[in-house]
Amino acid sequence: MRILLTVAVAMTLGSAFTLYAVNYETRGLADDVKRREKSINKARRDIAILKAERAHLARPDRIGRHARALGLAPAKRGQFATYSISDPTGRRVTRRPGDER
Amino acid sequence: MSNGVIITPGLAHGALRRPEPQHDVVRQAQAFRAERRSERVRALVAIAVMGLAFLTVAGQLLRLAMQGQSEQRISINAPLATAFARPDIVDRNGRLMASDIVMHSLVADPHVILDQDEIADRLVTVLPDLDRKRVRNAIADRSKRFAWIRRGLSPAEAQKVHDLGLPGLDFRPELRRAYPLGRSAGHVIGLVDIDNKGLQGIERYLDERKNVEPVHGPSLSVRPPLRLSLDVAVQFAVEDELAEAMRRYSAAAAVGLIMDVNSGEIVAAASLPGLDPIVIDDRFDKNRIDRLASGTYELGSIFKTFTAALAFEGGVDPQKRFDVRQPLEVEGYPIRDLHPAGRPLTVTEIFLLSSNVGAGLLALNDGQQRQKAFLEKLGLTTPMSTEAGNVAPASLPGRWGDIETVTVSYGHGLAVTPLQFAAASAALINGGHRVKPTFLRKRGRSQKPAERVISSETSHLIRQLMRENVASNAGTGWRAAVAGLNVGGKTGTAEIAGIGGYKSKSVIASFIGAFPMDKPRYLTLVCLFEPQGTKETGGHITAGVNAAPTTARIISRISPLLGFLPNLEHTRTPDVGDRRFDGPRFPQ
Repeated sequence: MRILLTVAVAMTLGSAFTLYAVNYETRGLADDVKRREKSINKARRDIAILKAERAHLARPDRIGRHARALGLAPAKRGQFATYSISDPTGRRVTRRPGDER
Repeated sequence: MSNGVIITPGLAHGALRRPEPQHDVVRQAQAFRAERRSERVRALVAIAVMGLAFLTVAGQLLRLAMQGQSEQRISINAPLATAFARPDIVDRNGRLMASDIVMHSLVADPHVILDQDEIADRLVTVLPDLDRKRVRNAIADRSKRFAWIRRGLSPAEAQKVHDLGLPGLDFRPELRRAYPLGRSAGHVIGLVDIDNKGLQGIERYLDERKNVEPVHGPSLSVRPPLRLSLDVAVQFAVEDELAEAMRRYSAAAAVGLIMDVNSGEIVAAASLPGLDPIVIDDRFDKNRIDRLASGTYELGSIFKTFTAALAFEGGVDPQKRFDVRQPLEVEGYPIRDLHPAGRPLTVTEIFLLSSNVGAGLLALNDGQQRQKAFLEKLGLTTPMSTEAGNVAPASLPGRWGDIETVTVSYGHGLAVTPLQFAAASAALINGGHRVKPTFLRKRGRSQKPAERVISSETSHLIRQLMRENVASNAGTGWRAAVAGLNVGGKTGTAEIAGIGGYKSKSVIASFIGAFPMDKPRYLTLVCLFEPQGTKETGGHITAGVNAAPTTARIISRISPLLGFLPNLEHTRTPDVGDRRFDGPRFPQ
C-alpha cells in the first residue's frame, strides 16, 4: 500500500514537471511561429513594394526613352537579311529569318 | 458512540455489569436519537439547497439552449474590416499592372496633442500639399481619440513626418493600390476607393468575382494574380502613337484598339486623353471619358464593310455594277458623293471609292428589315459588356425607314461605341464567327465553335476588299500600308452632329484594319476626334490622311512585338490590287 502511494506521488510530481516543461516549450514554439510569420509578412510586403518599383522602372515609356538616348531604335525592315543554306538534297535555297519557324 | 460501543436499549436493560441507573441510559438514548435526527435534517437541507442551485443552473442552461442564440452577437467580418486585400493585376506576359502595397497612413490622437497649431504648422512643412486648415480642424476636438491626417504616405514622406517627433501623431500601416504604369490602360483598370474596394473597370470585376477579401490589418492577398489579355508593350506603343497623332493632326481625342480577331482578346485598348487610376480629379474631367466603351458615335464609312457584307450574303456579285452617277433621292433627301465617280461602279469600287450613293443603293437593295436583322446578328445593336464594365448601348434611329437604311449603310444615324463596332467587324474578318471581346487572357481553353454569323465566303470577300483598299492605288486606305506586312482596312470620316445639323469641319476620322490579311490575327481600330487639316495632310481632315497613316505607324511598331517579321514580298505596289491575295507565308 505504501509503495503504491509513493509511486503514485512520484508519478504525479513527474507528470506535473513534464507538463510544465511541455507547456513552456509550446509557448516558446508559438512565439517562434509568431516571429517567423511576422518576418514572412514583412518580407512579403517588401517584395510587393520592390515588385511595384521594378514594374514602375521597367515601364515602356521609360525604357523607350533610355533606349533612344542610347541610339537604339525598333528593328527596321532593312535589318532583316536573306541567307542561303543547303537543303537535304544539297540544293542551295535562299531563306529569310522567320522561315524556319 | 465516542468509545465505539453501540448501546442499544436491550443491552442497557440486562447485560451490563455495572448497571447505571435506568433513567440515565434512557436519557442518553433519547439525546442521541434527537441528535441524529437533527443531523439528518441538516443534511437534507444542505442537499436541498445544493439541488436547487444545480436545478437553477440546469434550468438556465435549458432556457438558453431552447432560446437558441442570444441576441447579442459579435461579428468580426466585413463591417469591421478596415480594408480589402486585392490580388495583383498582370498583363498577358505577367508584367505587373496593379498591386497592393503597404503604405503608412498618418493618424492623430487629438486627446494627447499638446499644441494643435504647432502640429498643423510643422506637418505642412514636410507635406506641402496638405491643407493646414483641414488638419487644424481634424484635430480641434480634444475629446476625440482618433483622426485621419493623410492616408497612404510614401515611405519617404512617412520618415520625414516621423523625424518631426511630434506627440499625438501615429502611423497606421494600410493596404494601398499601386499602379506602376501610371496612365497606361487607366480606363480598363478602373479604380478603387480609399478602403481598397473596387469601384470601376477591372478592379470592380475583381470585387464582383469575390477575389478580394476583407482584412483588418495590412495583410496582402495570397490569391493568384488576374491575368489580362492586354500587352503592356503594345498598349504603350498604341498610346504613344495616338498621342503623337493627336499632336500631329491637332486632334481633340483619340481611340485605339488592338484585338485578336479569333479569340476576342483585347491586346491594347486606349482612349486619350487617358486617366490615372489614382488621380480622382481625372474622373470628373469630361474630356477624359472612355471613348472606346462609354461614348457612342456615328462612325461613318467604316460601316460600309457591313453594307458590303450584307450584300454579299444576299448573293450580290462583287463585280455587279450599280449606277451611282446621279445623287440618290430618298424620301426627299438627296444623298451625294463627295467625289462622284461619273460612271457605274462595281460593288468592289463602291467600297474602294467609299461611295455613299453606292452604299445606299446596296442597302436599299437588301431592305431595312434585312439590314436591321443583320446588324443585330452581328451584335452591333444588342447590349454588350466586358470585364471592364458595361459598354454603352447603341443609339438606334427611332424610325427605321428608307432614309435611315441609306444613312446607316454609310454609318450615320446609328451611334455605337468603337468597341462594339470592332467586335462586330471581327466577325467579318475572322471567317464569319461571332467574337466576344474580353480583357482576360484566354489560354489553352478548348474553344467551342463560335456562332457563325456570316459565311466564310463573304468573310473572304470582305478581306479581299479591305486588302485592296490598302494595297491598290484606287483605295482610300493606301496610307495604311506597312512595308513587309499585308494590312487591309477601311477608312471612315464621319461628320459630328451638332446643333443645327452636321458640322463639316468637325469630324471623327476612323480606320478599321486587320493584319495579316491572308490569315488575319489582329484587328486594329483607330479613331481621331476632330482632327485639323495640316500642311502634311494638305489641309484635308479625311481618315485617309490621318487615321490611315496612324494605323500604319501603330502596326509597324507593334507587329514585331506580336511576333511578325517583315515579309520582303510585301511592299505596296500599284499592281498589287490586281494580284489579289498573293498570300505571304507568315509564321503563325
